[in-house]
Amino acid sequence: MSTSEFSTERAIDRRDFFSWAQYGLGGAALATLLVRDGFAEDAAASAQRGPKIPGEADDPPPHHSAKAKRAIHICLCGGLSHIDSFDYKPALAKDHGQKLGGDERPDVFFGQVGLIRKNDWEFAQHGKSGLWVSALFPHIAKMADELTVIRSMVAESSSHTPATFQENSGFRFNGFPAAGAWLSYGLGNDTDELPAYVVLPDTRGLPAGGTVNWTNGFLPARHQGVMFNTQGPAVRDLIPSREIGPSVERASRDLLVRLNARHLAERGGSDALSARIESYGLAAKMQLAVPRVTHLDDETAATQESYGLHRDETRDFGRNCLLARRLLEQGVRFVQLFSGGAFGSPRINWDGHEDVVQNHTQEAARIDQPVAALLADLRQRGLLDDTLVLFTTEFGRTPFTQSAADVVGKGRDHNQYGFSVWLAGAGLKPGVAYGATDDIGWKAVDKPVPWHDFHATVLHLLGIDHTRLTYYHNGIRRRLTNVHGHVVSEILS
Amino acid sequence: MNALRDIRRRLVAAVVPIAVCVGALAWAGRGNETDAGASDASKAAEHFDKHVAPLLASRCLECHNPNEFKGKLDLSAKGAAMRGGENGAVIAPGDPDESLLWQYVEADEMPPKKPLADAEKEILRKWIAAGAAWGTDPIDRFAYTSDARAGYDWWSLQPVRRPVLPDAKSADVRGAIDRFVAVKREERGLVGSREAERRVLIRRLTFDLLGLPPSPDDVQAFAADASPDAYERLVDRLLSSPHFGERWGRFWLDVVRFGESDGYEYDKLRPNAWPYRDWVIAALNEDLPYDEFVAQQIAGDVLRPGDPHGTVAVGFLVAGPHDGLKPAGEVMLKIMRQDELEDVVGVIGQTFLGLTVHCARCHDHKFDPIRQVDYYRLTSAVAGYSHGEREMPAAASAAAVDALIAAAERRIRELEEPARRRILARRGADDDKGDEPLAALRPLAAWDFARGLDDLVGNADGEASGSAAITDRALRLDGKSGFVATAPLERDIREKTLVAVVTLDNLQQQGGAAISIQRVGGGAFDAIVFAERDLGRWMAGSEGFARTKPFNGPEETDASLRPVQMAIVYRVDGTIAAYRDGKPYGEAYHGGPLQTFPAGKTQLLFGLRHSPAGGNRLLAGAVHRAALFDRALSAEEIAALARDASAIVSSDEILAQLSPDERRLHRDLNDEVAALEKQRSKLKKQAVYTCVPQPGGVAHVLVRGNPQQLGQVAAAGGLSTLRGVDADFGLAPDAPEGERRSKLARWITDRNNPLFARVMANRLWHYHFGRGLVDTPNDFGFSGSRPTHPELLDYLAAEFVRGGFALKQLHRSLVSSATYRQASTVADDAPKADSENRWLWRKSPMRLEAEVVRDAMLAAAGELNAAMGGPGFHDFRAYVHRTTQFYEPLDVSGPDVQRRTVYRTWARGGRNPFLDTLDCPDPSTTTPKRSVTTTPLQAMAMWNNAFVLRMAEKLAARVAREAGDEPEEQLDRIYALVLSRPATDDEREVLGDFVEENGLAALCRVLLNSNEFMYVD
Repeated sequence: MSTSEFSTERAIDRRDFFSWAQYGLGGAALATLLVRDGFAEDAAASAQRGPKIPGEADDPPPHHSAKAKRAIHICLCGGLSHIDSFDYKPALAKDHGQKLGGDERPDVFFGQVGLIRKNDWEFAQHGKSGLWVSALFPHIAKMADELTVIRSMVAESSSHTPATFQENSGFRFNGFPAAGAWLSYGLGNDTDELPAYVVLPDTRGLPAGGTVNWTNGFLPARHQGVMFNTQGPAVRDLIPSREIGPSVERASRDLLVRLNARHLAERGGSDALSARIESYGLAAKMQLAVPRVTHLDDETAATQESYGLHRDETRDFGRNCLLARRLLEQGVRFVQLFSGGAFGSPRINWDGHEDVVQNHTQEAARIDQPVAALLADLRQRGLLDDTLVLFTTEFGRTPFTQSAADVVGKGRDHNQYGFSVWLAGAGLKPGVAYGATDDIGWKAVDKPVPWHDFHATVLHLLGIDHTRLTYYHNGIRRRLTNVHGHVVSEILS
Repeated sequence: MNALRDIRRRLVAAVVPIAVCVGALAWAGRGNETDAGASDASKAAEHFDKHVAPLLASRCLECHNPNEFKGKLDLSAKGAAMRGGENGAVIAPGDPDESLLWQYVEADEMPPKKPLADAEKEILRKWIAAGAAWGTDPIDRFAYTSDARAGYDWWSLQPVRRPVLPDAKSADVRGAIDRFVAVKREERGLVGSREAERRVLIRRLTFDLLGLPPSPDDVQAFAADASPDAYERLVDRLLSSPHFGERWGRFWLDVVRFGESDGYEYDKLRPNAWPYRDWVIAALNEDLPYDEFVAQQIAGDVLRPGDPHGTVAVGFLVAGPHDGLKPAGEVMLKIMRQDELEDVVGVIGQTFLGLTVHCARCHDHKFDPIRQVDYYRLTSAVAGYSHGEREMPAAASAAAVDALIAAAERRIRELEEPARRRILARRGADDDKGDEPLAALRPLAAWDFARGLDDLVGNADGEASGSAAITDRALRLDGKSGFVATAPLERDIREKTLVAVVTLDNLQQQGGAAISIQRVGGGAFDAIVFAERDLGRWMAGSEGFARTKPFNGPEETDASLRPVQMAIVYRVDGTIAAYRDGKPYGEAYHGGPLQTFPAGKTQLLFGLRHSPAGGNRLLAGAVHRAALFDRALSAEEIAALARDASAIVSSDEILAQLSPDERRLHRDLNDEVAALEKQRSKLKKQAVYTCVPQPGGVAHVLVRGNPQQLGQVAAAGGLSTLRGVDADFGLAPDAPEGERRSKLARWITDRNNPLFARVMANRLWHYHFGRGLVDTPNDFGFSGSRPTHPELLDYLAAEFVRGGFALKQLHRSLVSSATYRQASTVADDAPKADSENRWLWRKSPMRLEAEVVRDAMLAAAGELNAAMGGPGFHDFRAYVHRTTQFYEPLDVSGPDVQRRTVYRTWARGGRNPFLDTLDCPDPSTTTPKRSVTTTPLQAMAMWNNAFVLRMAEKLAARVAREAGDEPEEQLDRIYALVLSRPATDDEREVLGDFVEENGLAALCRVLLNSNEFMYVD
């Protein structure tokens, strides 16, 4: 046992060396130990290696060349009506007020099957591509040439939370890692100053299920989505919860390094102990980086205005969209934005059971301009070339209303059998629509796309073979795509 | 079609044991020559079984079996194989070159991904050339382990055999465990480490066994204790601490994914789920044998009726998430129910058997020899489980009273039994039916109307009303005004059996009851009623038909001609079953929650359905005999009762047989029981979130897991793949759900179940050493890890079984070993070969778990509230926003929340971010092994979190209070509290300056963040 480490001039006299935020580590001896244990390396080696924080999959990606390096996921909670937004069904107008044809009795969530209702927003073709988008999303429609719409999505559940879990994790149940956690696990992060997976919830409240929606599940805890708060410090425990003077703070950090260094030396070095020392350095970096990235005032007035920061109805989501772009620029792997909070009345999400017109008008007004601005901004900055944008909802809504059998009601029930999502950015064929629902938009009939296929495709674009990104848990090599999934290659460029 | 399937199932069932034997023989006797006298045909068959079948099984049958059926080819059975696939015949006996099978194999086209080796090809070619003789038919593809899957010969499925203790050269051997470890180390040229220092040992042991730091006094005392058995005494002291259960209970809660909210959209809080947590902690502290610990969690409510502990223990079944939001659509509902069953079967399989049984929901297990039908047999075994709350007496005090009642009753039985036997023997001198079951039949009350209206056993004597009278040795009832009511019963009636021997005047009457138990004056009642709803049929009457459903028994034809014996059994799970003349009458059904009839307010009626008399409630006929049992009789007991009505012995007859002293004792004991019953009924009720059984129904195999596609019927049963335990429960597919679960419990905990003991022995090893002998504690199948020390694992399992599944003894043997006592430090010349320490050349250092970090901080700061049990504390604000329950993390302090972390309320949506960063697992998923990660967010939480800063200040205040103003004393105290050691001289020097400049609290914060605090050497 050596106590000399502690008392040598290396550890005590060269106090400058303990400047925490600069090095995060204490002393030359410690730095050497860390290098020996593979935890510190010089910048050049790091640049060559790839991500600043490597993933930890045992079959590490890329499994093929990646089109996209990062992704942003806009998650609409409650169920966007596809037939009122991205899936144009002229037959609905013709059949308005009719009973559903055929013998099949729909197995809908609330059990009420009313008459068919036509789309409440007019559709038009947009851009060079002529993609059909309804007047519900006038701003997004202007970006039609960037979109790759899948009109034949199918889900396994018509209950919100299981369906949302599946949208995010591939499984209908509690306890499976969200896609963002899988990406963090597989790809690591391009910055060591910010988390790999950042979540920006709707300012009106968390989605049903709360933080479970961005859980790491059985993956190691570091892959859990990190929620950025809209009030107070953006990240929990970013700063001491009570006032601590700067000199005390600095001296405390120095002392911790020295005690840990000595402890490490006495134990002949250890990966785990070194990593723990290193983590305090990384925390210090994060402490500086988070306020920087969340400081939206750095953006020009024009940019702020384009995202809708100047208007009440678009401000909340606009800020989140702008922050998402800034996070991506800093190297964050995956940013997830929620549009919509929990269920109940009055509605604060897309669950238009009572009145789709009222509900969707209110929700679309919040996000239409910011989402379009985000696409335009990413394009203009060249980021869209290697960034993937996902715009999804857990399921669609029924072409018939949720009402008594002989009534055209105002609301629509959940529809798991056919709905629309879109993607944009790296590696996709832009301005196209893939797959189709039946004449009235009830069921996907042409090239149905289950969530597993959607996830397989997203992973593919990020350079990951979905069958190879696995994690052993309780007897099974788990995957985001369970035992399913096919890449939808027809939408790839 | 079904008949065919049944025949095949029987065939398979018949073949399985044979195939297993063949496999075992082939393995054991490889190379032995066969019986010289065998014919050529049997030699060929044997060759097939020994060489060809294993090859087909491991390389071909994965795709070419009756289920997968690729290319419409099934190579598992002789007929199908010879018939061929979509391209016609594939085997031309005697001519390989004409055989498609050989052509594909020779061309390396089959098997597609990994062609056969030349030697394997040669086996196939020679077999076809020799005429393709078949052996055991069909081939059981699960019989053999291959490079793609496990077979019945898989290591973990074999019976546990106590190995011979090996000879080890090492000096550092204390007991058997060390010998096994040393031998493996020696094989690799590794040397064990010296024993750790005393201070290290006590810190390690205390954290390990209690999850708390040792007190400075304990450290001092142990360091100074020179006696040779100091360590052993320390182990015993820690094992008997109540904190032991808190520490090890938490691990169990990880494995069974215990959570206190529903999860999913509503995530409703379960404010009454905590009794299960308390039960686990108490059971571990009391050292409840592991088999009993497990049996109670599966079927405690059935195995120990009336014992609240049993009902709390089955909280295990409902510890997981549960989607309370049910869609209107039926298809989705069925899928959700199947999802729930998968969850529970999955947890049962992984927790107790280390097998991923739930992977066989849609198809046979891909890696382990588990058939799809086995999965559905298990779903049938738990098909009645459902989430809910039950009212019960406050568990602890009621259990204490129950134990006293049980003891008094046992003594009463001991007094009565010899007398009863003597009486029965005298009555039936020529009786050869065997009186064993009868002697045990002790009704709570019984009436033989040939002898009058008095209760032959207790004090529920009858009183006649209206025209009721005893005529011709029976109670005559005219159907207009006559009935008999008894005095109130003296104890609570929960489970029960009603019995009456009755004759009817006519079979057209509707609504009269032979016997009824009712609240005095009317209200709730349960009765044996004739034809109130269905003409000519018996039914279980109840108020407003609350528990009444048709039994669908046959129409009565005899009761007008002769007496028939009717019995209705009311089981604790709500099942109601009827018997006529000792045989099941129609079908048992689930009648909803059992009705409890309170002591002093309950009476029996004969001839009247319920008070008041009148209407269609009166019976026209005669009641000959009647009895009330305060438990659910089995079918056998009821049959015995029907065979021999004289089985009931009156208490007068018994008392007459007793000596005066015995009579006095008998009376005292009865008084005692009555007093205790009264006491028990006054205890206040406690709602408990637990399994509320529903009728099990009949399970089917679901084709591809689809609830819309029913396959064969699956009666409750175990896994046919386990050696040494019978998977056949002998139950009908519609057996009462309680019987199914109790059989499952017995099957799982059978001492011959090879996985049961192995899996638990390995779990304990995993927690003590940081890595299991099998590194996948929930998976002993093909996808799991192989044991590093298989003989040691079997030794531990065998000892565990032999010791009656005593958990504390197993803990004691592990932590007493020299292997455990090794130092953890790495010398400079330490071997680099085994940095993971798989071969145990040192003790692996371990990081404190999330809960332990919090508890240890509280303990060091002197803030830990050691109160045990009761409702959990909330470190969140639970609020309902619209329809969903939300949990907002809060920083709260005070005695209630400063209890040990195991007493936190583990809402699924209400995780604690501080604990999360320290790898506290998601209670939605079973966690057999916690990950240990190190992240910047964790560092931020440890460094900045309000709780940590508060504990640092409290610790500083405590030290200032206890150690005075002297800096040296203060430092020593802090070090003793946080690191369990004194500060060294050079530390004192540097830290003294630090404290002077920055204050004591700053030092406490640093130490609570230090690696030395966070890791146990």
